[in-house]
Amino acid sequence: MSVSASPRSVTPKLKSLRVRDLTKSFADTAAVKGFDLDVAGGEFISLLGPSGCGKTTTLNCVAGLLDPDAGSIELDGKNVTADPPEKRGFGMVFQNYALFPHLTIARNISFGLEVRGVSRAEIDRRVDRALELVQLAGVRQRYPSQLSGGQQQRVALARAIVTEPPLILMDEPLSNLDAKLRLEMRHEIRRIHQSLGLTTLYVTHDQEEALSLADRVVLMRDGVIEQSGSPEELYAQPRSLYVANFLGYRNLLPVQVGAMNGVSVSVDANGARFTGSARGPLVQGGAAVATIRPRDIQVLAIGAPGTIAASVELAEFVGDGFELSADAGRGQRFIARTAERWSAGDQVALRLPPERLLVFPAEAT
Amino acid sequence: MKRRRFDPTLLLLGPAVLVVLGLFVYPFIYGLILSFEPYGDNEANGFLGSYMAFFGDARERLSIWNTLRLAVPATFIDVAIAVPLAYRLRRPVPGQRAITALLVIPLTLGTVLIAEGMLQFFGPAGWVNKTLLLIGVVDHPVQFLHNYLGTLISLLISDFPAVFLLLLGYASGIDPALDRAARTLGASWWQRTWRVTLPMLVPGIAVAAALSFVATFSVFPSAVLVGNPAGETRVIAFAAWQAAYEHFDYSMGSAIAIVMGAIELGLVAASLSLRAGGYRRLSTEGAR
Repeated sequence: MSVSASPRSVTPKLKSLRVRDLTKSFADTAAVKGFDLDVAGGEFISLLGPSGCGKTTTLNCVAGLLDPDAGSIELDGKNVTADPPEKRGFGMVFQNYALFPHLTIARNISFGLEVRGVSRAEIDRRVDRALELVQLAGVRQRYPSQLSGGQQQRVALARAIVTEPPLILMDEPLSNLDAKLRLEMRHEIRRIHQSLGLTTLYVTHDQEEALSLADRVVLMRDGVIEQSGSPEELYAQPRSLYVANFLGYRNLLPVQVGAMNGVSVSVDANGARFTGSARGPLVQGGAAVATIRPRDIQVLAIGAPGTIAASVELAEFVGDGFELSADAGRGQRFIARTAERWSAGDQVALRLPPERLLVFPAEAT
Repeated sequence: MKRRRFDPTLLLLGPAVLVVLGLFVYPFIYGLILSFEPYGDNEANGFLGSYMAFFGDARERLSIWNTLRLAVPATFIDVAIAVPLAYRLRRPVPGQRAITALLVIPLTLGTVLIAEGMLQFFGPAGWVNKTLLLIGVVDHPVQFLHNYLGTLISLLISDFPAVFLLLLGYASGIDPALDRAARTLGASWWQRTWRVTLPMLVPGIAVAAALSFVATFSVFPSAVLVGNPAGETRVIAFAAWQAAYEHFDYSMGSAIAIVMGAIELGLVAASLSLRAGGYRRLSTEGAR
């Protein structure tokens, strides 16, 4: 799923970003609690989580737009926690782009260079290069309102990278684009990140975006890091039910823990018995949740051994196959992805591979 | 080409058109014609007699200067105070409603009531002079009233709310992300003010200044009540009133009123061209 990284031709400007014990509260609610993060030069880090998990607050603290209540932010070993954003020199791409409506595209991009007192000739050269890099031509003298959403996004990107910042911060930059443009810009962002040797901190609530773009995903929940690791790691080894659910484990089955044998655990769901892989501390006889991705469920013809019978309620065509919603009785409903054509009313047999069926201790939530 | 059918809902415009015709267009044209029909001694100079009399008399000419001397500084000061205040209050801050209400109160008072209040407050035995004497800033009571200063203060108070409210509307329309974007791009407070905030406010400033100028240029009650209408605050509206109702020269009065209108029109056109030359509001739409 991840875009494979080509060998980097450019040395990253950043050596290290170190965030320690970052804490920020609004009124009485803690938005971020004891957040730690180490970023190495050239890394693409994605802060992932639902709205309200503290990811944007974290980003704004790193940018300097918010003052943390506690904690420190170090850039190449230098403490910048007290520096205002204008002193940090990070590039930032905003959700609504925040282009200056009264300035032309060229002047929008050169803004950061102008306030630094860069010479006119140098500005022209660098603006040209930035426009070339984001593949925008012939818009220099236009105004932001005259560009499409995708073009504005490219300008915002060009404006953020033209000053060659050590760190680029992106706050849900693709959320205002339609699906096709989103995919296109996703590739653009990753391509630019690689070709310039940028270090990027990218906030999103979209798991697909985070997994495909990032070298490392930091999944947040209620202001703390729930799990952090490579996209493959999070995808295959979710540490908690929360992470699993967020990363596409859409089938959640309340179960009772039965016999355990190493990582293999047998569970009982309203009389139906399954074998799954234990995740976290399980207690025999205790409550747990078994979860599996739709695409990991095998849909077979009725009567296959080691399966449960279900009847198809809904079959949605989703391009590369069908997404089925199947009723297995006992109040259990499974969502499965399959390449074969099934229709509503069909009787099927579902096989849940034990290594793909993860069993987590039940959570209070 | 399709023939356009008469839309009966257009009849609803009728009353409004009648009001405009009756209360604005007719008196204006009547006054314009009257101004070209000189009266008395001025009749000998032909149809421009009243205008020639006005511009030929140094005392009359001076009324233009007297008015500009009040209207321009009043507009300038009000805009200069309202811009930072409106920008500061564009987002909710504690006590914002109370502050805004306080700033808008003069709008409901009217110039005469403000002038009455000033007569007490700024008088030789009023609070202002008492305070100044008490803290030792001055030895004698300051003459705030019945002069240029009194009229200027009155204009500042009565004109401020409209300027403030108009600019508040413009300021709260500025996307707060622009300031944050400018910060991350390395712009200092000054650079953000000069390169982002003020340019974004220019259209609002132009409109506010134009309206404020028209309002203050037609000053009349405060120039009489807290000014010195025989001297330094003999404003053009007062000159017109004097010609018409003290000398009963309606032609002269109308001519002065037309001159007044022409000057106002000129300055409004000047401020609006500043707006057209600058950044236009439509440019924000796509960025949202």
